[in-house]
Amino acid sequence: MTAKCWDKLARNRAERLARAQTLVRGRLVAANDIVALFEALIEPGDRVCIEGNNQKQADFLARSLVKTDPAKLRDLHLVQSVLALPEHIDLIERGQVSRIDFSFSGPQAARLARLVEAKKITIGAIHTYLELFGRYFVDLTPRVALIAAHSADREGNLYTGPNTEDTPAIVEATAFKGGIVIAQVNEIVDKLPRVDIPADWVNYVVEAPTPNHIEPLFTRDPAQITEIQVLMGMIAIKGLYAEYGIKRLNHGIGFDTAAIELLLPTYAAELGLKGKICTHWALNPHPTLIPAIEAGFVESVHCFGSEVGMERYTAARPDIFFIGADGSMRSNRAFSQAAGHYACDLFIGSTLQIDLQANSSTATLDRIAGFGGAPNMGADARGRRHASPAWLRAGREGRGEIAMPRGQKLVVQIVETFREHMQPTFVERLDAWELATTASMELPPVMIYGEDLTHIITEEGIANLLLCRSPAEREQAIRGVAGYTPVGMARDTAMVENLRDRGIIRRAEDLGIRKCEATRDLLAARSIKELVLASEGLYDPPGQFRNW
Amino acid sequence: MNRRRVSYFEASARVRVHGLVDENSFVELCPAELRKTSPHLASLDAPLAFDDGVVVGRATLAGSAILIAAQEGRFNGGSVGEVHGAKIRGLLELALLTKPVAVLLLVDSGGVRLQEANAGLIAISEIMRAVLKGQSAGIPVFALIGGSCGAFGGMGIVARLCNEIVMSEQGRLGLSGPEVIETVKGVEEFDSRDRALVWRITGGKIRRTLGEATRLVDDLIPAFRDAATRLLARYVELPPVTLDDLQQAQHRLTERTGRFAEVSDGQQIWQQIFSESAGIAGLTVSDFNRLLGDQP
Repeated sequence: MTAKCWDKLARNRAERLARAQTLVRGRLVAANDIVALFEALIEPGDRVCIEGNNQKQADFLARSLVKTDPAKLRDLHLVQSVLALPEHIDLIERGQVSRIDFSFSGPQAARLARLVEAKKITIGAIHTYLELFGRYFVDLTPRVALIAAHSADREGNLYTGPNTEDTPAIVEATAFKGGIVIAQVNEIVDKLPRVDIPADWVNYVVEAPTPNHIEPLFTRDPAQITEIQVLMGMIAIKGLYAEYGIKRLNHGIGFDTAAIELLLPTYAAELGLKGKICTHWALNPHPTLIPAIEAGFVESVHCFGSEVGMERYTAARPDIFFIGADGSMRSNRAFSQAAGHYACDLFIGSTLQIDLQANSSTATLDRIAGFGGAPNMGADARGRRHASPAWLRAGREGRGEIAMPRGQKLVVQIVETFREHMQPTFVERLDAWELATTASMELPPVMIYGEDLTHIITEEGIANLLLCRSPAEREQAIRGVAGYTPVGMARDTAMVENLRDRGIIRRAEDLGIRKCEATRDLLAARSIKELVLASEGLYDPPGQFRNW
Repeated sequence: MNRRRVSYFEASARVRVHGLVDENSFVELCPAELRKTSPHLASLDAPLAFDDGVVVGRATLAGSAILIAAQEGRFNGGSVGEVHGAKIRGLLELALLTKPVAVLLLVDSGGVRLQEANAGLIAISEIMRAVLKGQSAGIPVFALIGGSCGAFGGMGIVARLCNEIVMSEQGRLGLSGPEVIETVKGVEEFDSRDRALVWRITGGKIRRTLGEATRLVDDLIPAFRDAATRLLARYVELPPVTLDDLQQAQHRLTERTGRFAEVSDGQQIWQQIFSESAGIAGLTVSDFNRLLGDQP
């Protein structure tokens, strides 16, 4: 009987590293040797993660991977949260990648949809971030991870700083399961501000010719917030946040939620809500949160990632943000997603389509975009075992007076009844169904399932789905806030009035909100410039947001 | 809402007028219900406004009688057509009869209305003449500039004829607008989409630095009201403009033309004047005024 071999992964890794020996000096690799290094290290069929976060991108490594020989590097399986760069899709077009598992493809959604239709690529699944990170530690562990850090020291320790994002999750899974970690850095220095990733988890470091790309994804210019959005923000604050006493929450990205953030120091303060709502957040450092922080509304914010221009501000507010001994922020997407799922009482965000069962999706026919973290935030945390007044009240409303007390997370969609180009937000059937057929997906890509959604806010008011006692009531509650869309026009007027009498639908006037007061003058900042002033000059907005 | 800060930039012409003058003192002349609309727009089947995009009337400001006109930037970019122009000119000529303490022009206009080219051009020249006539009769005219359309084309010239120009940082003042310059001269000459550059060349701060605007105020209706009230008080005591004043102004302009002949960006002007340029655009209005030595 031959001895069973228990370290095949480690042996294979050693073989690969030996092949690369002539190309490296210790852990350091020269930028112009990186293509050769890839060809030496990566084997056909490898699972590869090209760190693509929401914001930070390992762009130099992605560009270099596209330069490798398709005959040598083929049948790769990409496992990464975001497909943001054109190079990610180029690899598919070049036939080097045959399978992908991911979470979000934002800017590349249309190209990806075409490749799927042409059967050039197989999508394993479109995950939530936390779900994909979970699978990194179960059955989708990367064999090779190409990551991005701000800087490295000569031993190979990495500083990822405010934009730490996905890096710890990727590196931990790869390094401890026989994989290889290659980091691109903006600079190699003698001494790092702090160590975010220890050197012995990293195999190689390369100084990229240009700094890694970071996209300011979370900046919303207050100048573009409409008065309808101000009205919906007032409805959210008075009809929902105040009502349930929401202290711990997460906001999706968008102008609707930006409006709420900017109404906290004005409208919410006038309602006497300071200290009673919105004190603890799982949130990227949104510039539109600055006035609320400065007004003393906010006690704590943990971040998934950072935001371009917010570095000095977050560093100067260490009581609010999570700051290292070096004085700069550290983000961590995995932890913040866990926090958003388990430790928050409310998630509120926007979508493109909502059906009559309250399922919502941002997928449309010609785009495979994925949902990032929204499905994880926007789902009841069934494993939650700690109580809070908001959670308990939602549970009572949703489950009725039953024997076993249990709460529920508040999951809210805030949408205008019509979106761009007069497309109705409310539909009989989601485009997701057809997309699932054309792309041969096992599941229609639904962002938030109807059973998890508790409230819908539109300019017509709030529908409280928790209080609905039958599918028919739920449907009418949705139609009742769907305004002049075909779905809204088909409402049963008598039933909707009945729902309104029972407080299941509440209009602005039912909440004591005067629509004529919903003006932009209520916003704590009406321009990026005012955000800069509110930050005492600490916020440094990127060029595209400046007009001075 | 007692703490509401009403933005001048975002307000409509009527909200500006009502927020600026003493409460309930405004009496509109030639009001919207008379439906004095543009015959030129009607013949082109284009949308009309019953006030043709300008509100004119009399009011009091801190108790003093004034006349006031406010252009509505949201209607055809505040452009000056035949009726629009006649309303402003009529207001200025009314001043000769009623002798108000001042006439306030709330300018928010890209200039002449293209659809009414000749009539609009004539209207502008009539407004210019009426401003000068009022001034020679001892009635000061103030321009207030802080709307999204700024003060361009003919209205840029009219503004510069006024005794005083009050601007906010968001306000812009110029002759040809940035888009026009880019179209005619090319993007190398002026990139109209570089918003920071546009404001460094036409915006309130640089205009105040150059002395064209005489007051820089925050983008709040009460701030404009305060500035106009203070100016009003000054002009009660001030003698009318003399030939000597005009010659001095001419001299200052000639000097300035020489001094900044090679300049292509407001930043270079700040660099020359303050030996510092980077931080100027980011200053608050009050810090900027302090730097300039202006009284609040």
